[in-house]
Amino acid sequence: MTRQPRLATRIVAHVAVIVLVMVVLYPVMLVCKKAFEPGRDFALSPSPIPHTVTFDHFRTLFGQRGSHGEYLFVRQALNSVVAALATTVVGVFLSCTAAYALSRFKFPGRKAGLTTFVVVQMFPATLLIMPLYVVLDKLGLLNSLTGLVLVYSTTAIPFCVWTLKGYFDSLPRELEEAARIDGASAWLIFRKIILPLARPGLAVTALFSFMTAWNEFILASTFMTSESRYTLPVLIQSSVGEFSSQYGIFAAGAIVTSVPVMAVFYVLQKYLVGGLTAGAVKG
Amino acid sequence: MTGFVHRQLRDFAIAGAFAILIASVAFVAVRNRELIERQLGLADRSAAALAEDREPLPTVHGALIGPALPSPKHAFLRHREVREGAAWRTLASSRPDDKLFYDAATRFDRDHQPFVDLLRDGSGRAVAARAHGTEVAVAVTVPIAPASYPLLVMIGVLGLGAALTAAGALAGGVAARIGAFAGLAVLAIPTLLWHSWFAALAIGLVALAVVQLQRAGLTDRLARGLHHHRVAVSFLAPAGLAMLALVAAPFLLGLILGFYDHHQGTWSFVGLHNFVEILSGNGLDDPLNFWFTLGVTVLWTTCNVVLHVVIGVALALLLSRKWMRGKGVFRMLLILPWAIPNYITALMWHGMFDGQYGAINSLLHAMGLSGVSWWTSWLPSFASNVITNTWLGFPFMMVVALGALQNIPTELYEAAAVDGASSWQRFRHITLPHLRPALGPAVALGSIWTFNMFNVIYLVSNGKPGGTTNILVTDAYRWAFERGDRYGMAAAYGTIIFGILLLWNVLGGRLVRSKEADA
Repeated sequence: MTRQPRLATRIVAHVAVIVLVMVVLYPVMLVCKKAFEPGRDFALSPSPIPHTVTFDHFRTLFGQRGSHGEYLFVRQALNSVVAALATTVVGVFLSCTAAYALSRFKFPGRKAGLTTFVVVQMFPATLLIMPLYVVLDKLGLLNSLTGLVLVYSTTAIPFCVWTLKGYFDSLPRELEEAARIDGASAWLIFRKIILPLARPGLAVTALFSFMTAWNEFILASTFMTSESRYTLPVLIQSSVGEFSSQYGIFAAGAIVTSVPVMAVFYVLQKYLVGGLTAGAVKG
Repeated sequence: MTGFVHRQLRDFAIAGAFAILIASVAFVAVRNRELIERQLGLADRSAAALAEDREPLPTVHGALIGPALPSPKHAFLRHREVREGAAWRTLASSRPDDKLFYDAATRFDRDHQPFVDLLRDGSGRAVAARAHGTEVAVAVTVPIAPASYPLLVMIGVLGLGAALTAAGALAGGVAARIGAFAGLAVLAIPTLLWHSWFAALAIGLVALAVVQLQRAGLTDRLARGLHHHRVAVSFLAPAGLAMLALVAAPFLLGLILGFYDHHQGTWSFVGLHNFVEILSGNGLDDPLNFWFTLGVTVLWTTCNVVLHVVIGVALALLLSRKWMRGKGVFRMLLILPWAIPNYITALMWHGMFDGQYGAINSLLHAMGLSGVSWWTSWLPSFASNVITNTWLGFPFMMVVALGALQNIPTELYEAAAVDGASSWQRFRHITLPHLRPALGPAVALGSIWTFNMFNVIYLVSNGKPGGTTNILVTDAYRWAFERGDRYGMAAAYGTIIFGILLLWNVLGGRLVRSKEADA
């Protein structure tokens, strides 16, 4: 754009953006206010600034005890971390090899394989709840973290393959060809050349798998029946029940669980979009 | 000659592994069924014995439970007396089986009929209850260990099968075919012993298929193909196997369960009944039938995707202007909703829409307007869902659009300005064509995400009022877990939703491709 528009237009544009930023920030500030303000409900005043500051909600959140006297928050945080890390490992490990094969090798059924990963991705995990519930029940894996990790991987793998394939497609092939001429095997090339080059792509895939597991509540609350097996989302969701709402505890929990994920998200977000659209455009 | 034997044994090994898998699944299924039947039988016979004042079976814990009486200390509490052997005592929560006795007696009093059932805690114990005058005779079995896998038998038949195959191959001709068939058919023997006819039939069919494939030379071609692409296969195998176990198996099970009805723990085959019940819309006079929910889902998806794209693209256009101040800061702040876990966003907005304490009504009051009761009528309730989802969804479109705008060379705009193109013309002929390739897939992805956006609906309006703001996925979930465990209906719902999405994507894909062909 070479010519600047009139001053009035520029002011209107700035005001519009600022208004939207306020709409975005207001709910977040309300939650922060609630976390540090006494009382269980959202206050009647719409102001986003707390007038008294207290750490009671955090203290209640961390201090909750289960039926055996264990600290529930610690247990559930541990469950969340274990489930999320296991899902990340399964998701990244399994999908990077498959994505590489789909990106570089020509073989019959390649198209069909790609389509399968797309179709599976459309299938919401919510709809697999029922068959998975039956399978886990038969295997005795209800109320167990192993079962939960298996279920989360079903959501994570197709998406990871899809994203990583897009990323591998964007890597130059010259290095691989040079290595092949020098007599390197396919596995060696994959390990020594591709994986180091694909680090940003792998980071995005890992972030995505991690977030899938870390942010999920409905499967966890359906498959887990005892309090000490819950993950953090289940804890947070159950603090805002139909009949008794503890918005203070919810707000404190929301801050504790979102801040770490948000930090990583902000570091990696520019790769996230690249991965998403690269995978989608090339198919 | 050795090449031929080698080939026959190779085919035997692959098909044999498949047959062993079938046999093992059959073994687990049969073992579980027998175990359950035995436990139920033990419990039932013991309860019957107690009801006739005889001793229960030795391994079964049985007792006579008295009627529920007001507790002597607190009249509002109920307590029961229990008699094991001769003396009566009060049921106490400290004894491990007393809670089971109490629950069984309460269930018996409620239903007024004898029952025998598995405990729902997955321990494999069974409980039975019968009337004994005013008392209830209750028997609870102990957990029993399942029979161990007959490893030696399986290894034995596998060896026998390999020997038969090799012998046939050495003889050559028809004997090779007979050997290949017999070798695999031998693996069906254990399943016959367990009376699982389906598994035996399946293994027989596998044997037949292998012989036919060998005659057509297809096993050789397959083996050559696998050998030729062995590197690709080895790269694909881990994810392929995981997908088979974690995605394909539950998915197929889901398709099959759609043809069954689930009622209080038992499954019965009902054919297409679930699908007919869903698609006929419960007689169409019910506002909550499938077609109504489908309409809500389509409206929901459309509203959201349109709002996401319009807001996202508008912001991206503003933020990509050279004269815009503080672009970096605005961008960071505007993608905040994307970084927050969406269940937290949904719960946050749920709190804000609350009629009494919610921030939205407080804001409306502060502006001198009257508050809205968000979830008592359809439009505000639907709007509350859409507002929440728009808030959390527009940053994705904005970031995608920003990325695409950065790739437009500025010379294009300069050339257009020289030619005297208006700003609308520049947008129409330069910006839009460059946005489309990036926005197309983003819209496809976003529409699938929105179509399946369980969390927002479930946590914000929760279907209120009266389930009218549910979308298909939340409705399916209700069938499974909130409307009497109708798993079959939920599975049928899942199949239908999958069909819709598949159709939508195939048609959408066609549309995109034909547009590209035009351009």
